[in-house]
Amino acid sequence: MSQKYYEFFCPVKVIAGKAALEHIPYELTGLAAKRPMIVTDKGVRAAGLLDPVIAACEESGLEIVSIYDDVPPDSSTSVVRDIAGVYRQEKCDAIIAVGGGSAIDTGKAVNILVSEGGDDIAKYSGAGILKHPLKPFFVVPTTAGTGSEVTAVAVITDEKKGVKLPFTSSFLLPNAAIIDPRMTLTLPPHITAATAMDAMTHATEAFTCMAKNPLSDAYATAAIKKISGSLLNVMDNPKDAEGRLELAQASTMAGIAFSNSMVGLVHSLGHATGAICHLPHGLCMSLYLPYVLEYNLESIREPLGELLLYLEGPEVYSATPAARRAEATISAIRKLRDQLYKRCQLPRTLKETGKVQESQLDHIAEMALDDGSIMFNPKEVTLEDARAVLRRAWA
Amino acid sequence: MLLKRIQPMVFQARRLYVDIMFQVMGRALQAVSEVDETVQNEARALPKGLLFEMMVMPEGPRLIVEHIGDGYFHYHGQSAPRPVDLSIQFKHIAHAFLVLSFQEKTSEAFANDRMLVDGDVSYAVRMTRVLNRLETFILPKLIAQRAVKEYPANLHLPEKLISAARIYLKVATNFVETVRP
Repeated sequence: MSQKYYEFFCPVKVIAGKAALEHIPYELTGLAAKRPMIVTDKGVRAAGLLDPVIAACEESGLEIVSIYDDVPPDSSTSVVRDIAGVYRQEKCDAIIAVGGGSAIDTGKAVNILVSEGGDDIAKYSGAGILKHPLKPFFVVPTTAGTGSEVTAVAVITDEKKGVKLPFTSSFLLPNAAIIDPRMTLTLPPHITAATAMDAMTHATEAFTCMAKNPLSDAYATAAIKKISGSLLNVMDNPKDAEGRLELAQASTMAGIAFSNSMVGLVHSLGHATGAICHLPHGLCMSLYLPYVLEYNLESIREPLGELLLYLEGPEVYSATPAARRAEATISAIRKLRDQLYKRCQLPRTLKETGKVQESQLDHIAEMALDDGSIMFNPKEVTLEDARAVLRRAWA
Repeated sequence: MLLKRIQPMVFQARRLYVDIMFQVMGRALQAVSEVDETVQNEARALPKGLLFEMMVMPEGPRLIVEHIGDGYFHYHGQSAPRPVDLSIQFKHIAHAFLVLSFQEKTSEAFANDRMLVDGDVSYAVRMTRVLNRLETFILPKLIAQRAVKEYPANLHLPEKLISAARIYLKVATNFVETVRP
């Protein structure tokens, strides 16, 4: 009998491609929703990204009843409570989150309050608390990296206690994720690069960490192929809608992969670095990825070697001896980072960020060791190991 | 037919095994915190009074230990004096048996969704390291290698044997003390 076991779950309807936004009214009507509320942030609104969403709905006679555009980068319990108040006051019946990770997480948390009742989101924190489906919830991502549109997790800061509250439930998953190339067309180069490398890391860790499974593997490899095939083209031609769509789809696919197979040490170090040095998540992912792959190398040689096919194509893959493919994969990732550095100075080392002190490395290592994702890293990580990876990533 | 007849006995034996293993592990957690500095250092980061539970859903066997401060654990048996702060819950007795009979590593069990964490995940990660450390002491190396992700290269036989002897002695003493009327 096989000793293998895995679980895979993704009930999100993915609506992707040209004129995808125009499907929103039909999809909402299918869920009997008539009074949607948009949850977003000021940056998204200022960039004019709400206009096509609103136009798509109004053209079909669907009025957006309320727009909350003040979601901060780190959303809090009071923001969630305020938005839930507006939702109830305006008698809304659906939520459309438009934005990056913060707006999407806020939308998920607001959906808990307006569906379950009450004003205190903290009491729903944890895993498996929710027992019922929530209100209709759509997500329109405006970055191509987080994959939040297909993850069953939200993180909201409790500003009173100064802690981050995690919420985990399959009921947090949106009914639909709308991937429209118009939403990422104006993304600045450094954010395009960092978020794409975030997706690349999701896919790479999903494929090499302990909870990998055949279904998440399929999504992960497809995502890597799309990113390696499109990222540099998009960096050179930011208005390349085709390439933008490829990256957006890759982000969603990587999100599906890692939400079903988890991530490892790159994320543990990235979460700790983000918390201590306030570096953007995608940048941390790009920075640590090759160093962690080198650290894990002997535990992941086989799957890592397979990724060469999706990163460099069949010619390079077949020309590389099987025993050298894992190292060649790491070299390919390094090469991609060098290209991104050339185009937008996306840092490749902690020193290049200019925001990390060498004296902070020990603190980062200690915090990383307590991060939940370290559990799924294929190799056991000691404090000394984490310090060694950080020293290599320093300069 | 025979299989059907003996199945209830197999289930009962499995439950009994898990129950006994939880009793041993609970006492061993207390013991290892009294003999090993690495475990004490791990535990010191936990809040004093933190109640940790490992249990089988829905109402199966359980072990409860408390961090009583300065890196020391106290085993409470199967009942907690107040609501627990951190709970690692096996979804089924069969999953607990896989882990406690060393057919599946704790980290694999997490990766395979065999168990849930209710509480602060960072404390759960820390407690998993403590459990791994305990297993490397009290199990023969060949079995411990099946139980933990990576057997520590710096744990040499003399240290392992001395620590294991001290832990087993404390566990046995605790058993005698707690069953005495």
